Parts: sequence; C-alpha cells; structure tokens
Amino acid sequence: MNGHSNRKVNDTVEEFHRNNSFNGLVIDTKNSAELRQHGTSREEDADECRLPALEAAYASILRELGEDAGRQGLLRTPLRAAKAMQFLTKGYHETIEDILNNAIFDEDHDEMVIVKNIDVFSLCEHHLVPFFGKVHIGYIPNKKVVGLSKLARIVEIFSRRLQVQERLTKQIAVGISQALEPKGVAVVIEAAHMCMIMRGVQKMNSRTVTSTMLGVYLEDPKTREEFLSLSKSA
Amino acid sequence: MEHSEPTEQADGGSALNGHFDRTGKRPVPGGSGCASAAASACAPQPPRAEPGAPRPVMESWREERTRSVEDNQTSLPSLAAAYTTILRGLGEDPQRQGLLKTPWRAATAMQFFTKGYQEKIIDVLNDAIFDEDHDEMVIVKDIDMFSMCEHHLVPIFGRVHIGYLPNKRVLGLSKLARIVEIYSRRLQVQERLTKQIAVAITEALKPTGVGVVIEATHMCMVMRGVQKMNSKTVTSTMLGVFREDPKTRDEFLALIRS
Repeated sequence: MNGHSNRKVNDTVEEFHRNNSFNGLVIDTKNSAELRQHGTSREEDADECRLPALEAAYASILRELGEDAGRQGLLRTPLRAAKAMQFLTKGYHETIEDILNNAIFDEDHDEMVIVKNIDVFSLCEHHLVPFFGKVHIGYIPNKKVVGLSKLARIVEIFSRRLQVQERLTKQIAVGISQALEPKGVAVVIEAAHMCMIMRGVQKMNSRTVTSTMLGVYLEDPKTREEFLSLSKSA
Repeated sequence: MEHSEPTEQADGGSALNGHFDRTGKRPVPGGSGCASAAASACAPQPPRAEPGAPRPVMESWREERTRSVEDNQTSLPSLAAAYTTILRGLGEDPQRQGLLKTPWRAATAMQFFTKGYQEKIIDVLNDAIFDEDHDEMVIVKDIDMFSMCEHHLVPIFGRVHIGYLPNKRVLGLSKLARIVEIYSRRLQVQERLTKQIAVAITEALKPTGVGVVIEATHMCMVMRGVQKMNSKTVTSTMLGVFREDPKTRDEFLALIRS
C-alpha cells in the first residue's frame, strides 16, 4: 500500500512530531509502521511466478504500440522489461529491520552526521516513468549511530517502488527516526522527473525539491540552516 | 566509398554511401536521383520481411507509418489493461488513490514516447528544403533527445549533434530537430537511431556529407543492471565527405565540442 492504508495515520504522525519536544521523537511504532508499510502482496519468491503475467502484459503493449514484436531486437523484450520492472520495484519486499539489524552502534556522538549526494532512482506512480536525483540525509545521533551505507540502503528500500517524491522523502525520514531514535532527522531530495521532461510540459531543466525535517531540525532553525548549508556545498 | 551524390551511381541511385550492409532488398527513394538507375531498385516497397526472413535493419525514410492517430485511441483500452496487469503483478494495489488512473496515464505516456511510429519524415520535410548556394558546414548541436530502450522499455536521453555540408540544398534548421524527434520517439537502439538520422538527411538533401553524433545516458545501465551512474554512450555516423576527409570530420568534431 506504500503507506496509504489510512490517510488519517499520516496526519496523526505529523501532529505528533509537531507537538512534541525531541524526547517525543520515539514514535508510536504501531502508527508509523503503517506509514511505511508497503504492498504486502509482494514476496521475493513470488517474483518468479509473477513473471509470465508481466511478460504477457509487455508483449501486448509492444503490439498495441504498432511495433513488430517478432523482430530480433524485441524478441525477448517482454521478459527483460518485466524483470527490469521487478528490479525497479524491489523495495516492496525489503524492510528496514532486514538491513539494519547489525549496524547500529553506541557512540557518544551528538554532532550532526550528514550523508549527501546519494543517487536516488524511483518510478513515478502516475506515469510509470523514472525520476532520479540526489538525496541528502542528516541526523543528530542520540547515543546511537548507524553505519553510513545503511542510510543509502534505506533510501534504496523506499525509492525502489512506485512513488511520489513527497512520500518518499517522508518515508526515508520516518524510517531513520524509528530505527535510531535520534534527536532529529533531515532529508532533502532534489530530483528530475522524466514525466515532466520527456513528455507533458517538457521542461528539460526543471527539478523538484522536497524536504522532511523531524525533531530538532524542525524546531531549531539554526540546526536546519547548518544542515542545509553543509549539504549544499558544491 | 562514394560521395553521397544523387543520380548516376553504380548502386542504383542510393545515396546511402554503401557503408552498412543490407539484409534484404531495400527500397530506395524515388525522386530525381533515380532516373537512370534500375527501375526495380527505385520502386518504393515496404520492407516487410517474409516470415522467417531477416528483416532489413533500416527502414526507408519514406516507409509507411505503422500507426495512425486513430490507432492510438483504439489501442488505449488494451494498453491500459496491460498496465493494470503490470501493477498487480508488481504487488501494488491498482485501486489505491495514487494508482487509480495510472494505467491510462502510463498508456498515454507510452504512446507519446513512441509517437515516432505515426510520423513520416516526408510530411515534415517537404516544404523546408531550399536552394541555397552554400557549401560550408552547417551544424545544429545540443539537440535534446529522448528515446526508449527497445530491450528494457526504459528511457534513454542525451544530446544529438548534426552537421552537414550542403550541396546546393539546405534544410530548415528545426527540421533537423524534427528528424531527430521522429526517429528517437520509438523503441530504439542508439546505433540504429544515429544511422537513421544520418540516412534520412542524406536521402532528403543529397548533401556532400553528413555527420551525426549522439551522446546519451541509458537508464537501463544507470537504474538497473550494472548501475553505473555516470556512464555515457557515444555513437556517430559519418557519411560522404565527413567519412572520407579527416579534416572535415575534425572540424565537425571540434565545433560540436566547443
């Protein structure tokens, strides 16, 4: 469901963040688990058995577009396209617990940690066309730090789905909050949407920027400013 | 390697410069270039392969469209149904708010990405060829190009640089970009796209030479598979004097790089 099972949950979580001090960042796990819940009908093993249906769908698409599905270049395209699409949506059967379990360390560090310029690739859920860009993540640990690549892996989990950039940003931020319980999390995504560049309005240089600030990043403007200037440096 | 000059050519009036092999009888454009050539080579025939026979790699620039605007409307429901199947097959819920109209949007988007199938070069070019006594290089560079990889149905995007040496006939500049659009809005392979653009310009204008360079990023390599973010693929086609004369080629390459 990609977090859409109950829209009210989102509002509750939002309010919760806004009204509480940084102590309150420990989120009620039941509520926010819904927020980052994804299509539960996708199991890794089921991918193989779903392939024929996807292949048939792609073969029909090729035919309807006026192409000759028997020509050499297109012979195995339905299979390749189906596998590619499954890869591009593999985030549905990954969870944060799977990838994080061993990489949280107790460290007496309470300064900002930023991982920036993480390449992100996702699929627009409205047109099934890619959007891609960079993610900058910052957090202030509260006695627990996470392995740096795990931040990028969290991005991968949520981005390899049919997404909307706003939701992707929030899911990454909430995912990190839950796993680490830090003093604050900030996520900024700047992406180019092929649905706007390749079709529709066709604006080549347009970029969409979304951000989610949680905890101390939301409350303290100076912290937020520090993150924004550190993540923007050329 | 002959110059791509019209008419009296040994290979039947073709201005293709003979540098790629054909797997079948290729139709050659009729027109002023064919008067003295063998009639059979000039008769425009659609290159449909017999079942089992290898299909010609290149389609003639005058070939009939495989799709019409009306076809788009009639294929929309089955395309949308296919996309609904895909959404379900990926484990998503096609009924949730964000995905409700996605099959239709995705189908329309895909039809847009392959709209080159419903356009013909000849429609675009007929009025914009002018007689001009100009024989210096003409270059249009940094033409943004968006195509679809025919192997994975994932976008390819990049830039096209076109240069040609007119031989008494010049082409409206935007028509070069329109030729790029017609061939790129299809399921493509970058090598074939480069060649098709070059051949179309050659056959339309019969210039002294044509050079086409495409530099593109393939999302099938960036988003999946090897996942090399910064890789770019560069292909080029040089016809006529661009192929034979290294200095002309160098001038073209230097000018597109500046």
